[in-house]
Amino acid sequence: MNLIEVRNINKYFQQPAKMQVLSDVSFDIEKGKLISITGKSGSGKSTLLYLLSTMDTDFEGSIRINQDEMKGKSNPWLADFRNHHIGFVFQFHYLLPEFTVLKNVMLPALKLAKYSREETEHHAIDLLKLLGVEDQAHKRASLLSGGQQQRVAIARALINEPLIIMGDEPTGNLDSYNSAVVFDLFKKLSAEKGQTVLMVTHDEDIAGRSDQTIHLVDGKIDHAN
Amino acid sequence: MKIFTNIQLAATIALTHMRSRLKQTIIATVGVIFGITMFVFMVSMIQGINDFLRNIAFEQSPHLRLYNEIQAASGTILDKVKSQAINIVDHSKPKNVSLALKDGKQVIQLLQDDPRVLAVSGSIKAQVFYRLGSSTINGTINGIVFENENALFNLQAKLLEGSFHELATTPNSIVMGVNLAKRLNVKTGDQLLLTTEKGNNFYVTVAGIFKTGMSDIDKQESYASLNTVQRFMEVPAAHITDIKIKLHDMEQAPAFCQELQTKYGFQGSDWRQDNATIVDGDSFRNFMVYGVSITILLVAGFGTFNILTMMIYEKMKDIAILKAMGFSNGDIRRIFLIQAIIIGTIGALLGLVFGFLATYGISQMPYKSDVMITMDHFPVNYSIVYYISGFSFGIITTTLAGYLPSRKASRLDPITILRG
Ligand SMILES: Nc1ncnc2c1ncn2[C@@H]1O[C@H](COP(=O)(O)OP(=O)(O)OP(=O)(O)O)[C@@H](O)[C@H]1O
Ligand SMILES: [Mg+2]
Repeated sequence: MNLIEVRNINKYFQQPAKMQVLSDVSFDIEKGKLISITGKSGSGKSTLLYLLSTMDTDFEGSIRINQDEMKGKSNPWLADFRNHHIGFVFQFHYLLPEFTVLKNVMLPALKLAKYSREETEHHAIDLLKLLGVEDQAHKRASLLSGGQQQRVAIARALINEPLIIMGDEPTGNLDSYNSAVVFDLFKKLSAEKGQTVLMVTHDEDIAGRSDQTIHLVDGKIDHAN
Repeated sequence: MKIFTNIQLAATIALTHMRSRLKQTIIATVGVIFGITMFVFMVSMIQGINDFLRNIAFEQSPHLRLYNEIQAASGTILDKVKSQAINIVDHSKPKNVSLALKDGKQVIQLLQDDPRVLAVSGSIKAQVFYRLGSSTINGTINGIVFENENALFNLQAKLLEGSFHELATTPNSIVMGVNLAKRLNVKTGDQLLLTTEKGNNFYVTVAGIFKTGMSDIDKQESYASLNTVQRFMEVPAAHITDIKIKLHDMEQAPAFCQELQTKYGFQGSDWRQDNATIVDGDSFRNFMVYGVSITILLVAGFGTFNILTMMIYEKMKDIAILKAMGFSNGDIRRIFLIQAIIIGTIGALLGLVFGFLATYGISQMPYKSDVMITMDHFPVNYSIVYYISGFSFGIITTTLAGYLPSRKASRLDPITILRG
């Protein structure tokens, strides 16, 4: 069963001049797989990921996730969908600087309001442990190093046990040891919990070890790969 | 349930934002506090003065008066005699009407029994000259029955020296306005000469001096007993020119006045007509108070608008991250609206407290007025209405001021921000 079905996507930017960033992109992704999106800088990887994250709604074509068509949905519907089903790790910005690390991780779950505050807190601490930053839990997020922040952001993306975990170079700021920890965690989540991981990466090694690779060249899918 | 947790979450985020920008938040709140304080203070003070001026004027004016007036004759005798012809009469003289109220004493009797009437007093009013040495001053003398007149106007409280009761016991005695006494340079016990319109002269003794605070009265009026004035005017004891009435409910005055005029055929006038300038002045002063206060509140609202707009520019990344987590545009709008409402509520509440304290402070300030003898402190009005409207104004302006920035925040596109 396909979790994600992308059909004939075209994406344009109007500023400063009209320019096509993605042309006729189509692919399927199965549930419980780990997928890498690769390509040169500027090839449109982030743009594609933002479309899949449902935050960018300005495109031609069709994106179906978990049987639901994303095109034409209202803002509250998409927000709720993201809250339930998508955990996102950004390329550059990670945390809300004024909140503590723990609160940052808890926020999506508090928004979801499925579990009690205590359960959520436990769950958050467990995730921080898993990523090796539990000792930072009560610090203000702005005080952490880049790598620490990125790991907290990954913990936050996992807290609601989303269907899909998306990351724009989620290990870009990590040393090789922590990179391996995160990658192994992702592998485990997809294998054991059936969560689908979708990540942009420049790392040949990581791309090679994933279940599927989507390689972009100038906004088109390179099928040779 | 879900909406409740959403609001709660928005509130915690709003509070965290405000704590991180504590100084600006406080400045915006102080702006609102200042606006509401000024509003409450000014309204209370100006309304206090209004009330005070009204009281003075209304104490001096009955709820309604009945009198006769010399009027131009309507139609001419010629019209009556030759009703078919076209008659032209140039410059017809006013009709010679007696100013006396016909059957005045009986009317007073009837009015005293009317359940709507609180007090009624009949009097005679006449133009006289007060003379002493070389000074001659034109003025008015009121012949009254002191007990009745006192029930309407509380004359006793306005007496500076002497006594009103002597009017009834000592013949040819008068109690005169303080400024009139000053102009004539007389005091209690002194004698002076009174000349009536007909040219008769009487020696009178000053039995007392009063002060109402209304300079028109104080500089030319005096009181004597009803009999004394009737004797001066050479009119019979039934002759009175004014009936003054105080009602239980002053709002009934215009209707009641109309009724009495048609019933007895007298001229009449009520407190609204007699004090038109004060009634008008009231609304003008109120207009000014509200104008100034709303301006202050607008400035306070602008402060709130500024801080929230600034906050939004600073928190753009946060907004984008929150949206990515699953916060909808409505949730984001709520976060900033809540900030505005918190600033508005705290500002308005403290504004009410400070407004009350300022009002209380000025009401305790001793204030001696030359004109107004009955005033020793600054008059204020503590009506709850000002506090309610001040609070509502505060909340409404800050919420409106927060609405535009919060809408702007909710419409920010997360992708453009997150690209960095
Ligand atoms: N808002 C925008 N307006 C105009 N052009 C844009 C905008 N965002 C991206 N682009 C352009 O679209 C193209 C794809 O950008 P994108 O960020 O998707 O690249 P990427 O593959 O993620 O690159 P990198 O590996 O450096 O992150 C680039 O040429 C970029 O300049
Ligand atoms: Mg990118």
